[in-house]
Amino acid sequence: MSALIEVKGLTKRFGGLTAVKDVGFALAPGEITGILGPNGAGKTTLFNLLTGFIPADSGSIIFDGEPIRGLKPFRIVNRGLARTFQLTRPFIGMSVLENVVVGCLAPRVRRDGPTEGRARHMLVRVGLGAKADLAVDVLSYGDLRRLEIARALVTRPKLLLLDEPFAGLGTSEIEPLAALIRELHDSEGLTILIIEHRLREFMQLVGRVIAMDFGEIIAIGPPQEIVRHPRVVEAYIGRTEGARGVA
Amino acid sequence: MAQILVYGAVISAIYAMLAVGFTLIFGVARILNLAHGAFYALGAYGVYVLTAYGHLPLLAAAVVSVLFVAGFGAAMERVLVRPLRRSTLAVLMITLAVSLMVEQVLLLIFGSEARNVPSMVDATVAIAGVDISGQRVIALTGGIVILSGLWLFMQKTRLGAAILAVSQDAEGAQYMGIPSDRIFSIVMALSAGIAAAAGVLVAPFQTVIPGMGLLPLVKAFAIVIVGGLGSIPGSILGALLLGYTETIVAFNISIEWAQIVSVAAVLITLILRPAGFFGKRAAF
Amino acid sequence: MRSMIDWIGAGVAIAVLASVPLLAGSNYLVVVLTVALCNAMWAASWDFMSGLTGRENFGHALFIGAGAYTAGFLNTALDLNPWWGLPSSAIVAVLFSLVIGIPTLRLRGPYFALAMLSGATVMQSLTIIFSEYTGGQDGLNGIFPILDSQTAYYYLTLAIAVATVASLKFIALSPWGTILRAIRGDEATCQAAGINVSFYKITALMISAAFAGLGGALYAHALLQVGPDLFAVILSINTIILVYIGGMGTIYGPAGAALLFSLLIEKLRFLSEYRLWVYTLILIFILFFLPKGLVAPAWVWLRERLSGRRRKRAEDAVA
Repeated sequence: MSALIEVKGLTKRFGGLTAVKDVGFALAPGEITGILGPNGAGKTTLFNLLTGFIPADSGSIIFDGEPIRGLKPFRIVNRGLARTFQLTRPFIGMSVLENVVVGCLAPRVRRDGPTEGRARHMLVRVGLGAKADLAVDVLSYGDLRRLEIARALVTRPKLLLLDEPFAGLGTSEIEPLAALIRELHDSEGLTILIIEHRLREFMQLVGRVIAMDFGEIIAIGPPQEIVRHPRVVEAYIGRTEGARGVA
Repeated sequence: MAQILVYGAVISAIYAMLAVGFTLIFGVARILNLAHGAFYALGAYGVYVLTAYGHLPLLAAAVVSVLFVAGFGAAMERVLVRPLRRSTLAVLMITLAVSLMVEQVLLLIFGSEARNVPSMVDATVAIAGVDISGQRVIALTGGIVILSGLWLFMQKTRLGAAILAVSQDAEGAQYMGIPSDRIFSIVMALSAGIAAAAGVLVAPFQTVIPGMGLLPLVKAFAIVIVGGLGSIPGSILGALLLGYTETIVAFNISIEWAQIVSVAAVLITLILRPAGFFGKRAAF
Repeated sequence: MRSMIDWIGAGVAIAVLASVPLLAGSNYLVVVLTVALCNAMWAASWDFMSGLTGRENFGHALFIGAGAYTAGFLNTALDLNPWWGLPSSAIVAVLFSLVIGIPTLRLRGPYFALAMLSGATVMQSLTIIFSEYTGGQDGLNGIFPILDSQTAYYYLTLAIAVATVASLKFIALSPWGTILRAIRGDEATCQAAGINVSFYKITALMISAAFAGLGGALYAHALLQVGPDLFAVILSINTIILVYIGGMGTIYGPAGAALLFSLLIEKLRFLSEYRLWVYTLILIFILFFLPKGLVAPAWVWLRERLSGRRRKRAEDAVA
């Protein structure tokens, strides 16, 4: 089965600092994969490289058989690669519904039908149906995460990149969100790549983990193995918050 | 050639004063102050009023004028700008409003004819074989003295260190016990004072009209964009660049073309290299 | 979103404007209102771009002057029928918007604003320098009017202005407008939603320029002369102040503010020297106390009162 996305030798330098170094991996369709690593490991930079928000210095990204390195972010979205942001910045001054409607207007899905209906449907799916007509400023952190996911999903992605979806959430909000992600994967066959730096949250979710540190991939494998992998443990114990992070 | 060197130096010194003040308040408080030209104009008019009506000796009038404008600048920051700090564009609009007001007030009180401010020195001096008015020489030396004084102040005093700290990280400085808000007012006073000093120094040989601040503001902005917002050495370099380019163009082509130089410089820099030469914050 | 009351309100406003020449004693008021309508077009077009996307343009006069000079040029230098000036002015203004917009739209807020301001100022200086072609400080004089009667020309201008505000509002209410407002919200999130942000920004600027230029041409044929003041900073700032007063992003608010203020300034002619004072004080007041402006919120308030009463009457009728 051919990979949905194949990354080879991806590298990005900022001045003297190499944020992402020679990263390569492949995702098969339908997988849920996690990217694990302490702060500063280069995870979000990797996402920004994959989605076109930052230009890579070298390497290749083949998505669905086509090279996408160097394309502008919106073009990549229209090929079926969507992402959420860790620091959500919704369209303020607009309602929750309108925030999702914008996604419905992407060329990829524009002709799929009346936008308001599609947007409402998606909001119901992520659990925000009742809040559709509220102003977006009143949403809680957890709800903003759901909104991000709704906005990304409405562009009919084949691959969804989630950037630290659980960051800043309390346990009562994490459980339902994790369940939602699991449900979206199961029902739509969505391929998902999640960044998290806290293990506990996504141990049950992901089938495979890519561990990163200092911009490089240090290990790839099933979650139980990665957690015990010596280099991964070292990466975490070596940090001040390490002991708390390992399950 | 020598003429260009000498006259260029005078213009550059004045531009440097204006640019440094402009970049200072931006570097420290992130305020793009469109009223900067108004401070310059107020300095000139202040000296005029104090000598013509107050009958003060020239030097005293100069000092009082500068102090007054410095206070005015601090008051403007405290009362009008600080409440709107959350929006850079609101700050632009309010400082613009202040500059419009000042121009209107000056127009109302003094009318649109140019005012005469006496020179500090009447003699003509010869430098490098070039005849130049004593006042221009004073402007040049005054500029150099003031900017050197500013440099010393920033490097050697505690207040100067505090200002540098705030310019790097206002919140962090607050945690260290530095009152960022008060620093903003002080820096605005400094910035306004330097601009007023420039106005005072040029008043005897420049046209003193209510709208005299507009072009200097555009030029200060041009210099700061080229040199890099927030960078004092960049402003000085930019001032030399602009001052000499203008002088060369004015001598060889025409004065009208010289005026466009600064505005064109802004445009080109913003398009090609938005951070300027030494800029800390890029324009995107 | 558009209720019956909005349509009725628009109809009333147009009717009032249309009846002015019939009620007014002299031609003078007609000319004043013609100029006011041009101002309304400038304000509405600025609002369409900057009010919706939040990318404030401090050099709108560039498009106004470009349109005005094009109209004047075609008429005086090339001797063309003045009607040609109208579409040509829009086209030239759009070209200007492409030249300055493409390199500058990627700049952040204040830098874009000031880059546009620089563009307009450069154009102003160039106009003065190349005085053999442009008439320098004196500008172009002796432009032919499009229609011989002041009143007929007023109706033409009114029709075009109404069409302008209507078209811009129509686009603003459409999905296009939703995208523009999303750009104001956050450009990165817009990209992540699959929207070609650059395309929408540049086309918004082009549309804004086209209508500003058209307004400039109408102005030129109303006053029969153009000068470098049409590129001046103060004209751009004037337009922005009118939009702040009218209510940013509403399109009709700025147009209404332009009309009301032109009339107000006329009535208070003794204040015309202090016009800038008035504007500035109002601007300061609005920045601090009325961030949503005056005209549009006033209309919304009125609409609420009226719809409340109508609904009650409907309920009474049914009960």
